[in-house]
Amino acid sequence: MAELDELIHQPLRLKIMAALHAQGAEPLEFARLKAITQATDGNLGSHLTTLEKAGYVEIAKDFVGKKPRTRVAMTPAGRKAFRRHVEYLREVVEGVGGE
Amino acid sequence: MGISRTEAASALTDIERTAGRSRELKGYQIAGPILMVWGVVWILGYTGMGLLPPEQWGMTWLPLDALGILATILMSRRGKNAARAGSGWKIAAGALTIMAFMTATYLVFQPTSLEPAIVYPGLMTGLVYGGVGIAFAPRFLWIGAGVFVATLVGFFFFQPWLAFWMAAVGGGGLILGGLWLRRA
Repeated sequence: MAELDELIHQPLRLKIMAALHAQGAEPLEFARLKAITQATDGNLGSHLTTLEKAGYVEIAKDFVGKKPRTRVAMTPAGRKAFRRHVEYLREVVEGVGGE
Repeated sequence: MGISRTEAASALTDIERTAGRSRELKGYQIAGPILMVWGVVWILGYTGMGLLPPEQWGMTWLPLDALGILATILMSRRGKNAARAGSGWKIAAGALTIMAFMTATYLVFQPTSLEPAIVYPGLMTGLVYGGVGIAFAPRFLWIGAGVFVATLVGFFFFQPWLAFWMAAVGGGGLILGGLWLRRA
């Protein structure tokens, strides 16, 4: 049976990972991620830092003209961990491995 | 530490909802520039209709439509990683189906005046975008409704300048709609 990933399971981090996973290999801009997750700047930033420290996401900062841009992408490790977590959730719902 | 079945189900629902929203916004980002291309196609095509005799209308629209379809295929490839492979061809096949339907309708009903022929693509666009909006992406519903209403307003109130009305309001509306989608 797959295991619960407590780092991903936090509600906002779960949304961040779901949004990034749906993007495939492409990174997501901070503003768009904020629109999808409906989080505040500070809250989103702090949870992204947690995910980055865990090696689940990569954050790249650059400039488009004079405008700063922050882009977030899921790492292969993050993708693997997210899939494992979703598998765990499905197993719990389906009652696999116990009860 | 484990979690309950209810909690797991709720987390899966959250994931599905968020992924859906993510795909929807990505779709808007891809569709926006495509809509803007069609806006330019409409401006050029309808301006041509306003300036040229009816027998030259077909030759005006044919290359413009071909260009629009080609641009649609190329630009929709941007989303190929996230979307299903081959979606560009599905879009093109959809566009060709709609055009075949419109051509068949013209042939069967044979409008006796020019005005219905001019507004028909506008009404059809409103219908198709409305359907896409209801089924998949709500912003298309508003764009479709806008084009549909603008077309009817042109038909009933601006008939002497109908082709130019469609160029400005229809084509311009598609460009604005594209900008709105891109900013989503």
